[in-house]
Amino acid sequence: MRLSVEWIKEYAPVDAGAEAIAERLTMAGLEVEETEETELGTALNITVTPNRGDCLSVLGAARELAAFYNLPAPKLPEAIVTGIPAEKMPDVSIEDPDLCPRYAARLVRNLRLGESPAWMQARLIAAGMRPVSNIVDVTNYVMLETGQPLHAFDYERLSEGRIVVRRAKAGEILQTLDGEDRKLDPDMLVICDADIPVAVAGVMGGALSEINENTHTLLLESAHFHPLSVRRTARKLDMRTEASFRFERVVDPEGVVRAADRACQLISELKMGDVVAGVNDCYPVPAKARTLAVRPERVSMLLGFTITAEQIIDNLTRLGFGIENREPMVFTVPSWRPDIVREVDLAEEVGRVVGYEHIPERLPNGATVPGGDTLESRFALQTRQVLIAAGLQEIESHSLLAPSVFEDPREEGQRIPVRSALSADLSGLRRSLLPGLIETMDRNARRGQAPLAFFEVGHVFHNINCYNETTSLAVAISGPLQDPTWRKDTTTPSADFFSAKGLVERIANGLHVDGIRFEAGDDPRLHPGRSAKLILEDEVIGMVGELHPSLVGDLTMRERVVVLELKLTSLLQAAEGSKHYTPLTSYPSITRDIAPRLARDLPYGSIRAAVEKANISILEKLELTDIYTGSHIPEDQKSVTLSLTFRSTERTLTEEEVNEALDTIRKSLETACDARFIG
Amino acid sequence: MDALEKLVQEAEDTISQSKTTAELTAVEVKYLGNKGSVQAQLRSIGALPKEDRPTFGARINASKEKLTEAIGLRRTMLEQSEIATRLSQEAIDVTLPGRPFPVGRLHPLTSAVYRVKQVLSGLGFEFVDGPELEEYDYNFAALNYPEDHPAFDEMMTFYVDDEHLLRTQTTALQGRVMSLRKPPFRIATVGRCFRYEAVDATHHHTFHQVDVFMVDEKISMADLKGTLKQFAGDMFGGDVQVRFRPDFFPFVEPGVDYSIYWGDRWLELGGAGLIHPNILEAHGIDSERYTGFAFGLGIERIHMIQNGVNDLRLYLENDLRFLKQF
Repeated sequence: MRLSVEWIKEYAPVDAGAEAIAERLTMAGLEVEETEETELGTALNITVTPNRGDCLSVLGAARELAAFYNLPAPKLPEAIVTGIPAEKMPDVSIEDPDLCPRYAARLVRNLRLGESPAWMQARLIAAGMRPVSNIVDVTNYVMLETGQPLHAFDYERLSEGRIVVRRAKAGEILQTLDGEDRKLDPDMLVICDADIPVAVAGVMGGALSEINENTHTLLLESAHFHPLSVRRTARKLDMRTEASFRFERVVDPEGVVRAADRACQLISELKMGDVVAGVNDCYPVPAKARTLAVRPERVSMLLGFTITAEQIIDNLTRLGFGIENREPMVFTVPSWRPDIVREVDLAEEVGRVVGYEHIPERLPNGATVPGGDTLESRFALQTRQVLIAAGLQEIESHSLLAPSVFEDPREEGQRIPVRSALSADLSGLRRSLLPGLIETMDRNARRGQAPLAFFEVGHVFHNINCYNETTSLAVAISGPLQDPTWRKDTTTPSADFFSAKGLVERIANGLHVDGIRFEAGDDPRLHPGRSAKLILEDEVIGMVGELHPSLVGDLTMRERVVVLELKLTSLLQAAEGSKHYTPLTSYPSITRDIAPRLARDLPYGSIRAAVEKANISILEKLELTDIYTGSHIPEDQKSVTLSLTFRSTERTLTEEEVNEALDTIRKSLETACDARFIG
Repeated sequence: MDALEKLVQEAEDTISQSKTTAELTAVEVKYLGNKGSVQAQLRSIGALPKEDRPTFGARINASKEKLTEAIGLRRTMLEQSEIATRLSQEAIDVTLPGRPFPVGRLHPLTSAVYRVKQVLSGLGFEFVDGPELEEYDYNFAALNYPEDHPAFDEMMTFYVDDEHLLRTQTTALQGRVMSLRKPPFRIATVGRCFRYEAVDATHHHTFHQVDVFMVDEKISMADLKGTLKQFAGDMFGGDVQVRFRPDFFPFVEPGVDYSIYWGDRWLELGGAGLIHPNILEAHGIDSERYTGFAFGLGIERIHMIQNGVNDLRLYLENDLRFLKQF
């Protein structure tokens, strides 16, 4: 809302400049976001919070200002409307008083349509409105001044000169002032004549009853409509008007007749027509003034400093509250303040007038409770630290995205779309962190950035009969983790499957998670021969591998893109309590190498399993040190060198014990893997 | 000059002509070893008259000592020069770049989040996580939003269905906590929020928020102000001033937005207030006995202020040139 300072000052004659007024209003809760210079001097752009519809006018802003500067409450000039005698007043009937508690109508005859005076136009322009005609300008002027929207009908166009306020009938259509045909329905309140709708209540008038140069008699509407009804109607019709904006935020029901009178006074003074005496004010159930009790000690407790009874009375009466009783203290709430319903609301009003700068600073003095982070968050930080120590950069990508080929196509049905999404990019929730990681990688690759090694920890969403939200950890790497340098002996290899797998092992190792198994992968997003699923206690907790070549064609990266994604919560469960102390031993270890010959396509996992199956308690470590294929070995075979370290925590091992253990391992390899030992 | 004198003379010359410590060691062996030539002179001792023998033996010993000393001196000299040579040969250009180790970094928002957690934990606040995909009731109804109120206009919401939405504020956690706990409590939560906003340098549809609230006996606006001062001081450093301005949020009354005076200006940080008694009562908390405060602020905002970042969009864009700076 924009208003010129001089207009506000007319009602609150504050001895202060525009800047000081802007500051004072802002500190009182009417935020002046910016000021503008107009023909009439400075105008203020005021942001009114949605609970303070009463401030959407000159009078409203002036009322606040007067209270803060301790000036008398602003009042409209007494509307003395001498009118020509009424032959017949318009007949008003309200069929839905729940949606329209009050409707007042006045008549103006011998309308002389023309331009409004320059001073009025200047104020409208300063407020950001366009002058239209003297009558429209008066209705807008009074709306800006009092906050009460008005509407002018061509009275002769109203069938039988009647006003009926009712819900629209299904199928009724009204052409509004903007020339659009509006389809109405029974949820909408409309103003009708004897036959048909002539206005959408509180939103916009109809084109047929619009005043024009041929209009002789004008019916001026000033009414109170239910905020929710106006809000829903305006939204349904996709119309937001100055009137609907105010009605949605509640207009003072007691200001209805006063606004109509004010408009008639201006019409009369400015000789736009002959005002007919009298108003037809239809107000079947007048609103009762609310009373509220307030305890000074409670107000003091809430604000955190002592406020006296006298201060409360002074502050609240300045804001228009009436003192009903002093002991106990009871106030009547002004009709324009529907937002004040509880004692705590009055505490806020008192605080506003006294000034929040008087609130002291104190630390809460109560039961001390231990603070701290959640287990999952602490674990997530540990995980992140393992990954940054490995040289990866953390990212934060969007939770909302378009369907992506980098999400598991087998779970497409689990996507959770956003209702009536306005753009494809924000059309649903991510099921995987990979789309964001790969997009990030691609964007950085396009911009020539390196290294391309990223990870993210974030929430992913699946619809599995219910909405499932879990924390996921994902990594994407392409190319070397380190740019090649002048030291030729330090070139890091480009990332491949084993980089990603090594990272999984590093995560497991760093977080003390034992027992993650790798099994041949089946994720369609990954290279079928270079991917694995991660299994922990028979649960698939994630996958690792190189992206499927058919998915990377459009990407900037020319090197293999390797990824991994796993459920952080599964890791957390496995990491819980996995740390236990093993006494350090000073007994020496003995290391022996064995080099079985095996079928060339035998997976290393089977070899390892065969060694483990031998179940040697003194076997401390098994390391793969070489895989040899080539000359001296048949083409369908390979020689695998395993380094076995033996140690006992109780004694020094003897040569015989170790040899016996080696024999058992060899036999296990022979039986399970068809291994042969040469020489 | 007899043979021994000649030999010593020859040995002294050889020692002084040795170029390396290795050469010197060979010289030592040649003249002073058990089979060395000085020792060999002893063999001729038998040919001497008995009375001359002790004198000759003493001469040999003296010669050995003399040569040993000469070798020692020469060795020290050669070692020094050999080290000097090695040092000069091994010298490198120390201004060349080092062998790089890969460097990973936390996302700036992660760092900011954990800093916030550290500070608030120290003030006795316990963190609780809430879902990003939230129930309408927790996000709005439980927070005292009147039905279809214009307050919703500030909260363009991504709905998933009639009952579910992407939380527009981390304040949504308050109802979840209050339905499970009895006061007193001090709770904080941090996470992602979503509002349908056109994206520009200061607005984004996805952002991060911390929400802090406590309920206890006699909690007042002064407790709120003091806590904010402590929090902001710890976050930004130095003695900050806190300023309240009336504002409206359905879940607090009085409601304020708060600014801090930091550096040389007032910075708006977020919204705050006393928890609305309607909310306490809805969870069976005696609003006469207990009051509470709540405040919230944006994680991006914190990081932007701390580091002078001027564009909100950078955080979710993940350009390495940006991320590397923190």
